[in-house]
Amino acid sequence: MSAVLEIRGLDKRFGGIVVADAIDLTLSAGRVVGLIGPNGAGKTSLFNLVSGIFPADAGTITLDGERIDRLKTHRRAARGLSRTWQNLRLFPSLSVLDNLMVGPRHYPGEKLWRLAFDRGGVRRREAETRRRALDVLERTGLAAVAKTRAADLTFGQQKLVGVARALMNESRCLLLDEPMAGVEGHAYETMQRVVRDVAASGVAVCVVEHNVAFIRDLCDEGVFMFAGKVLARGPVADLIADPRLTELYFGT
Amino acid sequence: MEYIYTLVILIALGVVLASSFNLIIGYAGLVSIAHPVFYAIGAYVSALLARDHGVPVPVAMILGALAAMAASIAVALPSLRVSGDYLLIASIGFQLGLLEAIKNVSFTGGAGGLTNIPPFLIQTAGREAYVALVVGVAVLTVLLTRSIAHGPYGRALSAMRDDELAFAALGRNAVAMKVAVFALGSGLAGLAGALYAHYFRFVTPEQFELLQSAAILTMVVVGGIRTTWGPVVGAILLQALPQAITFLDLPVALLGPLQGLLFTGLVLVFMFWRPQGLVAAGEFWRPSREAPDVGRP
Ligand SMILES: Nc1ncnc2c1ncn2[C@@H]1O[C@H](COP(=O)(O)OP(=O)(O)O)[C@@H](O)[C@H]1O
Ligand SMILES: [Mg+2]
Repeated sequence: MSAVLEIRGLDKRFGGIVVADAIDLTLSAGRVVGLIGPNGAGKTSLFNLVSGIFPADAGTITLDGERIDRLKTHRRAARGLSRTWQNLRLFPSLSVLDNLMVGPRHYPGEKLWRLAFDRGGVRRREAETRRRALDVLERTGLAAVAKTRAADLTFGQQKLVGVARALMNESRCLLLDEPMAGVEGHAYETMQRVVRDVAASGVAVCVVEHNVAFIRDLCDEGVFMFAGKVLARGPVADLIADPRLTELYFGT
Repeated sequence: MEYIYTLVILIALGVVLASSFNLIIGYAGLVSIAHPVFYAIGAYVSALLARDHGVPVPVAMILGALAAMAASIAVALPSLRVSGDYLLIASIGFQLGLLEAIKNVSFTGGAGGLTNIPPFLIQTAGREAYVALVVGVAVLTVLLTRSIAHGPYGRALSAMRDDELAFAALGRNAVAMKVAVFALGSGLAGLAGALYAHYFRFVTPEQFELLQSAAILTMVVVGGIRTTWGPVVGAILLQALPQAITFLDLPVALLGPLQGLLFTGLVLVFMFWRPQGLVAAGEFWRPSREAPDVGRP
């Protein structure tokens, strides 16, 4: 079991609010870790710290043994870190397919000079990216809506687009922020299968989720967060059964 | 005939300025109105190199465009690194500061303007050849903008405008893309400046001031921001209208303010009546050629 993402002693506070308090967390290849905790516990903030949306006050983050905590967001993604967002953040002016086309770790058309001096190369890699995007859409059950604009889909499908877009990175580590919130029926099963397949391919996955059934069925391990702290770590069933944690979770 | 040639050249230069500005403010969504300062840099650098340093005009023109590009990177890079909001302030400061400097040093001709700029092509190949050159540059600019806007780069710019954070989290370098577009657009403005200088053979600092900023902005907004043809339509309209006004035989002192009023008036009218401009952009990004079928069942 090899460590892919290692977080050590991560601290972050916004004024008086502590969102990360000496967090240690390791994500390993092929395993799905469920991150649970009440609203405001700091789960999304942890993802934001890892992906570099805002800097940590202290601590280190390594991806495949290399420090990434000083890198800008886009550089971390280029090293093989991908994520989704609790509030979707799809690109409304793009079709589903084009949302995915922007997602590969190295984007063929990102450099203007390439468009001038390496047109053939850009075209080849566009075609390749397109094939991969169509393949991912197939796997996520979205092939039929490839040319639809994301905003016209059902909420569940939009959540799937978010995950599909993150898969384009072919990342080493995937962070999913509440992928099941608002998702039901067909999309629910698809989401489970997709996450399971991604982990099976050797990706280290971390899922923030309130849906207990989803976490229990899918995760190899659970991590309980509260007030910026990791309070417990272990089999999901044990965490759910712990009365102390349930009390914190439901805030009685 | 010469009058027609001059008008065609002014329109074609307007097309270069408006299309390149559309790349910056439209497709990249960068807030800046200092486009004329890069137009000025192209004009002054090319004119001075050719007149005072014996550089052949075509080479001087290219160096003028490159100087504008270099200056634009120097302005954009530090401000965009901090935050997009600083670009507007930094670029306007640069525009006002540089024009003030041009007015106050002697080798640029000062406030009176730079005279005796060497001509190009006209004595050897005729005025028509120069018209063809400028129109050719305008056509190439429009084609270039179109191919950028509807290719992979344009798709990425569209995503960046939609959500810069999500864009960065996918591995895209938004700052680098913004600087690149700003540099390309400003370089094209510089080329337009050089083409202007060696045709009219006289430039003054005041023609690159805020009135010019307003004119270029109006061309883009009235014509249709984020479209291929909008800036072209806008440039034709905005270059032809002031010419029409000059036919009214008004005193010179009135002409400048009248043009300013015209630009502002047009923008206001369009903001209420047709905010998308004459040519409306779709909300949806489209690739240039409908790419191979994606197998929609
Ligand atoms: N950028 C920010 N600035 C200030 N406070 C923030 C910021 N991001 C998150 N917070 C605060 O941090 C706490 C944890 O939020 P969050 O990480 O979104 O929790 P969770 O995802 O576990 O529900 C909340 O109190 C939230 O208001
Ligand atoms: Mg959250």
